[in-house]
Amino acid sequence: MTIDAKRNGTEVVIKVVGRVDSVTAPDFEKAVNENIEGAESLVFDFENLDYISSAGLRVLLMSQKKANANSCKMKLINVNETVNEILEVTGFLTILSIE
Amino acid sequence: MAELNFEKKESLLVIKLDGYIDSANAGEVENKINDIRAANPSDKIEIDCEKLKYISSAGLRIVLRIKKAVCDTSIINVSPEVYEIFDMTGFTEMMDVRKAFRVISVEGCEVIGQGANGKVYRIDPDTIVKVYLNPDSLPEIERERELARTAFVLGIPTAIPYDVVRIENGGFGSVFELLNAKSFAKLLINGEKSVDEIATMSVDLLKLIHGTVVKEGSMPDMKEVAIGWVKFLKDYLPEDVYAKLEKLVTDIPADLHMMHGDYHIKNVMLQNGEVLLIDMDTLCHGNPVFELASMFNAYYGYCELEPEQIEDFLGITFETANELWQKMLSLYLGTEDKKALEAVENKAKIIGYTRIMRRTIRRKGFETESGRAVIENAKKHIIDLLAVTDSLTF
Repeated sequence: MTIDAKRNGTEVVIKVVGRVDSVTAPDFEKAVNENIEGAESLVFDFENLDYISSAGLRVLLMSQKKANANSCKMKLINVNETVNEILEVTGFLTILSIE
Repeated sequence: MAELNFEKKESLLVIKLDGYIDSANAGEVENKINDIRAANPSDKIEIDCEKLKYISSAGLRIVLRIKKAVCDTSIINVSPEVYEIFDMTGFTEMMDVRKAFRVISVEGCEVIGQGANGKVYRIDPDTIVKVYLNPDSLPEIERERELARTAFVLGIPTAIPYDVVRIENGGFGSVFELLNAKSFAKLLINGEKSVDEIATMSVDLLKLIHGTVVKEGSMPDMKEVAIGWVKFLKDYLPEDVYAKLEKLVTDIPADLHMMHGDYHIKNVMLQNGEVLLIDMDTLCHGNPVFELASMFNAYYGYCELEPEQIEDFLGITFETANELWQKMLSLYLGTEDKKALEAVENKAKIIGYTRIMRRTIRRKGFETESGRAVIENAKKHIIDLLAVTDSLTF
C-alpha cells in the first residue's frame, strides 16, 4: 500500500493505492490522523485501492467520526466495484458518503 | 407462464412466480394468484422470484395489490437482474425484497476448521466460509450475521461479515473475512502473553463494547432474557428468596449499551497488535452486571464443582482462570479494594448462579448425582448472596 496525502488549505485528499489490510491499516490511520486536524474537507481517492479489510474499514469509521466531530465533510471518490461491494455488504454504504 | 406454483406452510403462503410477467400475461397471472389466495387464506405472503426472469410495470402492480391486501408480504429469492427492477421502482424501500443467495462451491478449498455444525473453508486469500450442514440453520446464520454487521458498523473490531451463500452440494454458508489471528486462550497457553497482558487487553475491548449504544430492537435485551431465567426458578426456590431475586432483577434499569454475552479468551483474538471479537451470536444489550455474570460463569461458575473441566473448555487451569477473572474485575471497576470488588462480584454471582441453576434443571440435572450437586450448590449461593445484597447494579 502507498499513500499520497495532499493538503490544499483546509482541503485534504488522501489517495490510497494497493491493499489496506491489518498490516497496512496502521499507516493508513497515521496518514488520516496527521491530516485531519483543521481540515474542512477530507476526500479519499480509492481509484487504485484493490482491497480493504476490516482493519481498513475501521480506520474509515474512525475518520468519519472525527470528521463529524470537527464539522469536516468526508467523502470517498472513484470507488471501484470490488471495494464498493465490500462497502455494500458491510453496511458502510449507508454511513459513508461516496461519489 | 403456464403454471403458478405455491406452497402453504401454516399461516404462510409462498407464491412462486415464473418466467416473464408483462402486460400480455399479467391479467392471467393475477387471476391465478387470486384463486390461490382465495383457497389458501393467510396473513403472511412470500413472493418467491427464484424462476422469475422479468417483471414489467403490469406485474409490479399485481405485487402492489397483494401487498395492499396482506401487509406482511415480502419478495424473496430475487435474481440480480430482477432486483434492479425492484430497486429502481422503489419497491425495495417499500417492502422487504431479498436477493437470491449467491451459490458457491467449496470443492477443493482448504479446510481450516471444523466445528460441531460444519466446516470452515478458505475460499480465497481474504475470505472464509463457515458451512452449516443443517439446512434449517439458515435463520440462525442470518441472525448471527445481522448481529455481527450491526456491531461492525458501530465500530466493534471484528471480522467483516460478508453475505450468506448457498453451497453447491447442499447447506448454507456464512462468508467472513479471513483473520490471521490467535485467540487470547492460545496466547496464554503458549506463554506468548501474560495473565496481566491478557486481562488488560480484554478489559480495554470490553469497555469499548460496553460504551457502544445500540438501537432498540437491533439486539436482544438481556434483562428480558434474565427475567426468563428467574421465572423458571419460581418452583425451585423458597418463596421469599424468589420474590427478592425477581425484584432485584426487575429493578435493574433498562440499558441500551452493547454486551457480548459470551466474553471469554476463546472469543477474543489478536491480529498484528489489534484486538478482535468473534462469535457474535450472543450479542445483546443490557446492564454490564449481566456481562460480568456470564464472565464469572465462564471463568469460575460452570466449573466450580469440577475444576479440571475448565481445561477442556478454555485450555487453562482453574487457578489461572480465577486469577484472570479477578484481575479483569479489578481493571474493569478501576479499584483494588477487596470489599468493593467482592460486592460487585456478588451481584454478578447471583445472576450467574441463577443461570446455572436453570440450565442444569433444564438439562435434566435432577436425574443425576452430579446434576443435583450443581443445582444444590447454585441454590445455596443464591440464598446466601441474596441475604447480603440489596441491589444488582453498581
